[in-house]
Amino acid sequence: MIKVIGLSKKFDDLEVLKGIDEEILQGEKVVIIGPSGSGKSTFLRCLNLMEFPTGGEILFEGENVAGYRKGKQLNAHRQRIGMVFQHFNLFPHLSVIENITLAPVMLKKSTKAEALRNAARLLDRIGLAEKAANYPATLSGGQKQRVAIVRALAMEPKVMLFDEPTSALDPEMVGEVLDLIGDLADEGMTMVLVTHEMGFAREVGSRILFMDEGKIVEQAEPTTFFTNPQSPRLQDFLAKVV
Amino acid sequence: MIDTITSAFYRVMIYDDRWRMWLSGLELTLTVTFFALLVGLLAGLTLAIVRVTYDSSAKPNPLLIILNRFAKLYISAIRGIPMVVQLLVWALVILAASRNSFLIATLAFGFNSGAYVSEVFRAGIASIDKGQSEAGRSLGLSYAQTMLKIILPQAIKNCLPAFGNEFISLLKETSIAGMAAIADVTQVGNIIRGRTFDPAPLFFVAAIYLILVLFLEFLIRQMEKALNKSDRRTGKPIAKLKRKGLVRND
Ligand SMILES: Nc1ncnc2c1ncn2[C@@H]1O[C@H](COP(=O)(O)OP(=O)(O)OP(=O)(O)O)[C@@H](O)[C@H]1O
Ligand SMILES: [Mg+2]
Repeated sequence: MIKVIGLSKKFDDLEVLKGIDEEILQGEKVVIIGPSGSGKSTFLRCLNLMEFPTGGEILFEGENVAGYRKGKQLNAHRQRIGMVFQHFNLFPHLSVIENITLAPVMLKKSTKAEALRNAARLLDRIGLAEKAANYPATLSGGQKQRVAIVRALAMEPKVMLFDEPTSALDPEMVGEVLDLIGDLADEGMTMVLVTHEMGFAREVGSRILFMDEGKIVEQAEPTTFFTNPQSPRLQDFLAKVV
Repeated sequence: MIDTITSAFYRVMIYDDRWRMWLSGLELTLTVTFFALLVGLLAGLTLAIVRVTYDSSAKPNPLLIILNRFAKLYISAIRGIPMVVQLLVWALVILAASRNSFLIATLAFGFNSGAYVSEVFRAGIASIDKGQSEAGRSLGLSYAQTMLKIILPQAIKNCLPAFGNEFISLLKETSIAGMAAIADVTQVGNIIRGRTFDPAPLFFVAAIYLILVLFLEFLIRQMEKALNKSDRRTGKPIAKLKRKGLVRND
């Protein structure tokens, strides 16, 4: 579904991604772990062109999108990829349901009535139907993040990107967000997830990538990854975090 | 004491129907202030959007470069030239052919205000968390759509109290309109003073401004309170959503 070839990204002189080759298949749940500053977020953000690659190719269903810079192509590419942020980034001036319907309506993905119905259905699914008219400030962190997830889903993306979706949450709220992500995974959503939740990575991931210093150093399916790490750096990292 | 005040009031207000002059002066002051604020808001918003868009684009297109240069030049010119001089330029050069004092004053004070308002807008836009535009853009909204629907509504709301203060500044600033022979309330006071030969009209002028400003300050405080409350509100659309059966009744 997404094929990345020799992807590199520099911020001025700082080389953050140093030639990444990776293929993400339809329905895969790819989990990325690695130390702080290793380029996990940057990699994720290159996939939907929130950061522009400085080298390499990104083939999305065969179409090389790496060079898209403005206008229609760029926005159309982003529409098919949902992104969930660490800090939710709900729109505080809009009610919960308006948060969800804004993009589908503005981008003429659906009529206002359809978008409202769809949003209501999504809210019902996450048990927040009665919060539809609330403003984000009145929600808990876990509720905000779940709304942020369905806001992205309302665009019916083909891939979902999660960048540490539970890192900003109080511990007691992590579960409800992970449950929702897990449900999406079960339904077959293709997803790329950066997380520090090793237990969840193991449970939901179909493949785990270890990034360090702008490279994917090692990868494997979860059991092998955690029980039989090959490179010393991953062994080190796992010793520290698990 | 009472006698002095009543006789002053008679001389300044009643005699010769002078209250009519006061009223028309006050009307001019208030309408010029109000419409200058509108002109200032529009000019300021336009300038701010030009500058913010320029600052945020990696490779600005030539038109944007020119617009941005113009915006910067405009802002530094307005800031560098005294308001009285600007007013005279409008009255004697740009609109020399016009005898419409309202128009001259509105444009002079409005375009002046725009330069300052643009900086307020810019700060307001800058104060919005970067995550807001990222969320908008990641959904596939364009830069303009994100600006219009996500950034500006929040920025403008943050700026509202500052615009209240700008209104007060403008109100006081328009008192120099008389320099271009425009009969605002200060100028009316001057004209009447020239007939009464005492400082009483000046006190009237001072009192009028003071009362207006205190009243406006009161309004701004109310507005700030209302805005603070609105941060933790349930939404306006609730009734509509309930009617459509999209929200449960609780
Ligand atoms: N917009 C930017 N401009 C300059 N440098 C940046 C920018 N974004 C990221 N970087 C740098 O790129 C490097 C990788 O950042 P990135 O956010 O991708 O790391 P990460 O693996 O997600 O780390 P963390 O676990 O802390 O989130 C860091 O050194 C960071 O300072
Ligand atoms: Mg990160």
